[in-house]
Amino acid sequence: MRHPEIEAMIRGELELLQLERLQSTLTRAYRQVKFYRRQFDRLGLNLDGIRSLSDLTRLPCTTREDLSENYPYGLFAVPLRDIVRILSSPGTTEKPLVVGYAAQDIKLWLELLARLYTAADITREDILQIILPQGLANWRRDLQAGAEYLGASVIPPATLNFAKELMVMRDYKTSVLVTTPPVARHLLTVMARMDLTPAELSLKKALLVASPLPEAVRREIEAGFQVTCATAYGITEVMGPGLAFSCGADGGLHFSEDHFYPEIIDPETGAPVPPGTQGELVITTLSTVAFPLVRFRSGDRTSLIQEPCACGRTLVRLGEIAGRTDPIFSVGGIKVHPDQIGALLAEALQGHPPKFSYRVVSEEGLEILDIELTVEEVFFSDEIKALECLCRRARRHLADHLGINARIILKEEAAR
Amino acid sequence: MLKIRNLSAYYGSVRALSGVTCHIREGEIVTLIGANGAGKTTLLNAVCGLVRRDGDLEFSGHSLKGMAPEEIVGLGISQVPEGRQLFAPMTVAENLELGAYRRYRKESKAAIQADLERIYQLFPRLKDRLTQKAGTMSGGEQQMLAIGRALMARPRLLLLDEPSLGLAPIVVEDILARLSQLRAEGMTILLVEQNARVALKVADRAYVLETGRIILSGTAADLLQDRQVTRAYLGRDYKDFTEGR
Repeated sequence: MRHPEIEAMIRGELELLQLERLQSTLTRAYRQVKFYRRQFDRLGLNLDGIRSLSDLTRLPCTTREDLSENYPYGLFAVPLRDIVRILSSPGTTEKPLVVGYAAQDIKLWLELLARLYTAADITREDILQIILPQGLANWRRDLQAGAEYLGASVIPPATLNFAKELMVMRDYKTSVLVTTPPVARHLLTVMARMDLTPAELSLKKALLVASPLPEAVRREIEAGFQVTCATAYGITEVMGPGLAFSCGADGGLHFSEDHFYPEIIDPETGAPVPPGTQGELVITTLSTVAFPLVRFRSGDRTSLIQEPCACGRTLVRLGEIAGRTDPIFSVGGIKVHPDQIGALLAEALQGHPPKFSYRVVSEEGLEILDIELTVEEVFFSDEIKALECLCRRARRHLADHLGINARIILKEEAAR
Repeated sequence: MLKIRNLSAYYGSVRALSGVTCHIREGEIVTLIGANGAGKTTLLNAVCGLVRRDGDLEFSGHSLKGMAPEEIVGLGISQVPEGRQLFAPMTVAENLELGAYRRYRKESKAAIQADLERIYQLFPRLKDRLTQKAGTMSGGEQQMLAIGRALMARPRLLLLDEPSLGLAPIVVEDILARLSQLRAEGMTILLVEQNARVALKVADRAYVLETGRIILSGTAADLLQDRQVTRAYLGRDYKDFTEGR
């Protein structure tokens, strides 16, 4: 454990720590962020009413839409000159979501990453190879910085093809592979094609991030590479990957409750669900200075496991991430909203609203977005070349904006 | 060791603290920093039962609810008040003996004498001035005496209110070095200071109070780096502060 005094803290003491941090976070949010002040005042809420952790349920939730509406700096709690990092993620509208970090937030973030690696039994002795697609820029940066902070040797993400990546993995004696579950599966198929066996590699562990890791996929990757798997959970709006992490005992993901307070609510009614029940994960920051978030709706469907863990940590665990409570879906770990697809296709069609359907397919492990686009008269051409060009344009547009792999399949308009 | 939950404190109808939650672990030096009137002294007084308060206070498992100040001293909490509050016409020795007033009936003379020796070790200057009237000593010596007097009650938690007030920087350094020494011997210390810079240097953790509420907390090292704290309490970066956003 990186922080045994916290990770294995007696629950009562942890809850007192959470309460004191929660109260000071709410005081800061109320006094320094207009949005929260207005929210609380509108509902006649008083900070005095928050006397225990459960009182938090009286406060309204914050959504991705709230973040968009306060674009770009509306939710920052410190003057811009105190901000040392400004991060954006695509969000659900045309306005990105912007998150700010102050110097001490960066320090906290690095500690949380070190905590994650330590729980995965990754040390400064390890050689890490990070293979993550461009579209996961935030994960790439976070995991690289965290591993370097830990003191491990890091091979940063590059734009090599997968065969080259495997060559590097073999020759550089990589001991830890950091990637997404789909890319790990794809690497296995490339390995088979190259006649490369796990015995020729020095891999001991795989840290699989950005998308859920079903048990079957985990077993496949563990057997294929002869490694043990670890995983982590995080969302960009709330400090990235450091939110929750797996431990050796492998029952769910320990939530860094000393810095973030998790709740599970019914996504329809917003009411808290009984312990152990699935619902939407809602997160309140307890320590971040620049960007306090009060009851942020993650959109992820999961549950909280309160039972003590065999690893000795007392931090509550996230159960399986069982999908989304909103239409957002993942293509190889990159989160996409259907409206974004529609908007980008419309741009590629010079503003014509597209008729389309889509599904995520897996090819040799990699996830690709198949889009069936109905050909309409306005952009129909009897030249195949012109139609091909259209497909290429749309595909490039999606890759540029979202960093996803897409395939456009043209479909005739149904006869009227 | 000390757990404080939702503590509010009042002077008449004026509320000086609103819903403060914080804790101190055994062997820690924790400091409260904040501007004048933020509620720092009130918090110390509330712990000691000197002001009207509500909320939960727990010291080593004992609730402090409804306890009289002298009972709280008996549990092992002593305060060194702001401005020392010595008995000026009395000698150094008499002041120290008064600090042990709750112990004379129960404990042997030898035990008290041993504690006196310990205090002379910590502050050798006091031993040289045993017969001097407290009011005629320098500010630094008075502060040492005030701490010594509080220690005579054999506290496990020492509350200090503005020990640096009116003292030359070199004397402040000396006093703070003594606090570190006390902590090394197992004492737990809650330190209130306007001089945030020196307080953060000696403390492990800190809470920042603003108009009766805790607005920030963290390790002392982190808060020394915090730009808001630097601006507001360390006197640096003043241009930023006045320019606003």
